[in-house]
Formats: sequence, C-alpha cells, structure tokens
Amino acid sequence: MAELSQDSGGGHKKGGKVRSKKMSTRIDFTPMVDLGFLLITFFMLTTTLAKPQIMALVMPEKDVKKDEQEPVKESKVLTLILGKDDKVYYYEGITEPKLDSTDFSAEGVRRVILDKQVKVKEMFGEEEFEDFKTKEQRKGSFLNVLIKPTKDAKYKNLVDVLDEMSITKVRYYVILDVSKLEEDFIKDPAKGMNFNPTVQSEPAQ
Amino acid sequence: MPKHKPKRGSPLVDMTAMTDVAFLLLTFFMLTAKAKPQESVVVDTPSSISETKLPDAGTLTILVSKEGQVFLDMAGQHTRKALIDDMNSQYQLGLNEEEKLKFSIAGGFGVERTKLKGWLNLPPSERSQLKVDGIPSDTSNNELGPWVHNARLAQFKMKQEGKVNDDYVIVVKADKDTPYPAVQNVINTLTDINVNKFNLITNSEADPNKKPGGK
Repeated sequence: MAELSQDSGGGHKKGGKVRSKKMSTRIDFTPMVDLGFLLITFFMLTTTLAKPQIMALVMPEKDVKKDEQEPVKESKVLTLILGKDDKVYYYEGITEPKLDSTDFSAEGVRRVILDKQVKVKEMFGEEEFEDFKTKEQRKGSFLNVLIKPTKDAKYKNLVDVLDEMSITKVRYYVILDVSKLEEDFIKDPAKGMNFNPTVQSEPAQ
Repeated sequence: MPKHKPKRGSPLVDMTAMTDVAFLLLTFFMLTAKAKPQESVVVDTPSSISETKLPDAGTLTILVSKEGQVFLDMAGQHTRKALIDDMNSQYQLGLNEEEKLKFSIAGGFGVERTKLKGWLNLPPSERSQLKVDGIPSDTSNNELGPWVHNARLAQFKMKQEGKVNDDYVIVVKADKDTPYPAVQNVINTLTDINVNKFNLITNSEADPNKKPGGK
C-alpha cells in the first residue's frame, strides 16, 4: 500500500545518453487520509455542537421594606403547590380556598392557569402595562401566580411549572416556600385553610 | 479474432478528492471545537421551551447532582487564581502556591473547604472517582455562599484589571430528579448574597404555542 508507484519508463538508455531517472509525481495518500479521518472522529466526539439552553429566573429581593410592597387583589391570585409524584395542587385566593389537584399535561395545569386568566380578565378587564423589554404600552391581564414547591417536589416540576408560566404568558409569578398550613391543607383539604391574609407577591419578571 | 480481455482497472484510486473533503471537515471541526468541559457529575437536565442560549462569556456553574450534592465550577484561570488566594487567606485553607496553581486549572469541585487541600493533591484522574459530599449549602453550614460571593468579587477585580471582559453569569444546572430542597438551598444561598438573577440550564423542547415548521 504505502509504496511510491514508480514508472518504469524514462529509465531507458537511448543512444548512449544517460538520463536521470524520473520519479513519479503520484504519492500514496492513504496514511494521510487515515490520519485525517482519525482526527475528524476525535474532534467530532469531543465537540459540543449544540449549546445548552438557559432559562432566566429572577427571584425577589430578600429584604423589601413593608411600604415598598404592593398588596395584591386576592381574586387575582392563583397558588400552585408542587407535590409528590408530579402532582400539582392549586387553589384560588385565600378566603375559603378550594383545593384541587392536577398534573403537568397540556390539559392539566395549563388549563387551570388559562381558566384563571380568563376569570381575572372578566373581572378586572385588561390593564395597561409597559413592556419592560420594548418599552411599549401593552394591555394584558394581571394574574399573580404563587409557586410553592414542597419538599417532595422534584427539580423537574419546578422547571415545568416555570415553563408553563412562559407558555401561558403569566407576567407575575414568584417562587415561595410552602407553609405548614398549606402542607396540612394538602393532606386534609376538607378541613379548609384559614389564615390571615398576609400573602404578598412581588413580580418575578 | 483476438481474445477479448476484460480491461484491468488500476488498483490505485485517486484519493485527492477524498483527502480534500477529509481535511475540509477536519479544519471545520478543529475551528468550531470547544473541548467538552469535564463535569464533576453526570446531570440530566429537564427540558423547557426556552430558546435562550448559554452565553459565551464567563460562567459560574452550580451543579446539583441527583442526590443533591452541590458542585461548583467557574471559567477563567486568572479569576480562579485570585479566588483561591482570597479564600486561602480568608479561611486559612493552608494551600501553598503549587496547590493554588492546581486549583486554578482544575475543573469543578465538590468538597468541603477543609478537604480541598487533599483533593487538590490527588492526580486529576482520581479526583472524579473520589466520593464527595458536595459543597455544604444549607443554612447551618453554608460554604457555597462565600465561594460564589468571592468568585464574583474576583471576577470583578479581573474585569477592572482588563483580564476578562464580563461579569460572571450564574448558572444553575440540576438534574431532573434532584429533590427540590437541594435546589431551594442553592437558590436561598444565592438570594442571600444578593444574586437575584440567575439561569437554569435546560434541554430544548417544542413550544406548544408555535406550530412545528411555522413562523
């Protein structure tokens, strides 16, 4: 394989004249190609072609002064509690909440959020806001979603629910810690939940 | 009639074209190649519809494994050197210059501060095999906070000196099945040191609002 193919022509003696032997210009490229493909394979395997996607998450600041907080209308609030085994518990408002559970399918939590959005829109109409990216005045309904993952929730559940926020274009959502009250509420919804209306929500985005 | 002989093809094939293609591909891969960063743990990220790509600028990655161990990795040799100098004097890690240099070129780590010296003295191939507990990040014993805080300060210093161009982008990479409390600890740690904006690494997934192929 790796020989230089030599022409036997050109080496004839002709009329006593001595000619220098002509070498062929053809070289066997096989080893070079071998090496080339080896390197290609190496680079292909070590390359990360697709960059990973990222999802930006903005958390509210830890210490916000009481007078800088803005109370939120109760009927605009939807609380999602992320429970065990990919379950989502949700309730609306805080007075006499009705607990229900759903899942992460398209007809599950998404339907719940969309329904609540329609309700808020009917009740309050559309409000104007300034798009913080384009500085345009736009109209939209103001639904506040409180996301409360329990300790049994998986990280996947959190990402899924944040994903739902961007799919349903919820502008205000916040991740909060689940309270003892709510944990008991999940265990035994019949007893209901009674707590002082101290729920505050800050815009998460 | 002369006998009809089948024409003998030459066994030598002209490889020039193939070589051309091979080396073109080789050049392409060499130029686009970016070595796969060595990850401390294998993490299977959840998927989302987000289409934002991870920026090229310096990233500080907080890895959370399936079991909830926390690992830390950051880009930039200069920053890492400055960071370990700071940490060494602040917490008396007892590292010598050689060990600091090792830290600056090491990848992600997930050991307590006290065990860092021993970890650095292992050969790089053995580090990944070592069973580690991750960086403590709960409220009672939080080492993650000082690490991230000092890393950001170090990066800021390097930026002022003109050695790097950007501040760190804080990235959290956790496994699908990581229990939420582990992620919660990381998020709480970050908000405690006033990092309120960070990014979660996800895989891509189709957006149900967009029809496939449309728009």
